[in-house]
Amino acid sequence: MSQTTSNAAQGLGQATTLASGFQFPSIHNFPPFYTLQPTASTWKNQSDLWGTVIMRYYRHHRLYQLDLDDSTTNDQLFNNQRISRALKPETIQAIVEEMVKKGDAEWDATSRKRRAIIFWRKPEDWAAMISSWVFESGLNNSILTFYEIAHGENSEDQEFYNIHPTVLQKTMDVLVKRGVATTFQGANFEEMGVKFFNAGA
Amino acid sequence: MGSSSSKGAAAKITAHDRAILDLKVQRDKLRQYNKRLEGVVEKELRLAKGHLAKGEKQRALLALRRKKFQESLLEKTVLQMTNLDELTMSIEQAMVEKQVFAGLAAGNQVLKELHKEMSLADVEKLMDETADSIAYQNEIDELLSTRLSVADEEDIERELDLMVEEETKALLPNTPENALPELEQQPVEEGMLSKASWVDTLCSNRET
Repeated sequence: MSQTTSNAAQGLGQATTLASGFQFPSIHNFPPFYTLQPTASTWKNQSDLWGTVIMRYYRHHRLYQLDLDDSTTNDQLFNNQRISRALKPETIQAIVEEMVKKGDAEWDATSRKRRAIIFWRKPEDWAAMISSWVFESGLNNSILTFYEIAHGENSEDQEFYNIHPTVLQKTMDVLVKRGVATTFQGANFEEMGVKFFNAGA
Repeated sequence: MGSSSSKGAAAKITAHDRAILDLKVQRDKLRQYNKRLEGVVEKELRLAKGHLAKGEKQRALLALRRKKFQESLLEKTVLQMTNLDELTMSIEQAMVEKQVFAGLAAGNQVLKELHKEMSLADVEKLMDETADSIAYQNEIDELLSTRLSVADEEDIERELDLMVEEETKALLPNTPENALPELEQQPVEEGMLSKASWVDTLCSNRET
């Protein structure tokens, strides 16, 4: 953490807490935090910090997708009305680019860097969660649809309820690689399904 | 997307699995449709209330009519979903039963093969031979235990007695070897009976 930013951030004292219960770190109220810092080392710290804030915000609100459009740039995450500072879309893009480098995010291949998926939980961790749920529900050896895992009645009380399709696909890739499950298409080639083997969790 | 299934594992997916997946996909679609209908029903109800608040009774009635129709659709989809679910469950149940049958068949096969390896005649022969061997062994035992003479028996008994005696000796404490101290003569005071004579007196008194 760079000396100037951390000291100044501490000097600001109070952090903003949202109605949702999410608390921004105090650096969120620090005006220079909203300007892309030209010094490489400072920029590295800045983008790292932004990455952390984004991950925490997305995790708290169970968001997965970041679109570089007005609704995002106007979101309280990037637009701090209290200090009248907002991140420019280019800066957000640069931050996400850094997150992609670290494996914390991934650009949607067709979006030309306008849409990214934020991995506030690694696909490996989702994989462990889902496979233990399958094991505990005795769903080994039966067929599940991707939709059923993400939106089914059986998973309503699970962490991964309403999981983003891309994240789910990544998670399934992990499970397939481990030999725990296999994914396949139905006779109509419409939706993906998955079959978990008896390997357990 | 299909390329994500690895080649080895793909072989484990049967046509049955695909059929079940298709059923479940259909059910998922119904579920989505259901959600949409629920939203529409809610919206119509909201509209009807709004119209009524504004005094537009006719339009409120229309909205309610639409709501009624959508509710009937909703009911139908729920029924269809139940049917799909039941069908899927029946298939899964049948698959489990098939596996159970396969398991039983395999067990039966093994049992048959094991039986083939030991024919009844063989078993009978083996049992006869075993019985012969046991009888022979019994004979040996008998011979060995009766061969000893009476004199030998007595010798053995004596040896046993000796062992027992030694054992008991080892258990008891040694008798003291030093002599007992001499009793000191206590001077007997006049008018006083010695302890021994006093006891004698008591005893003789009781007898009389």
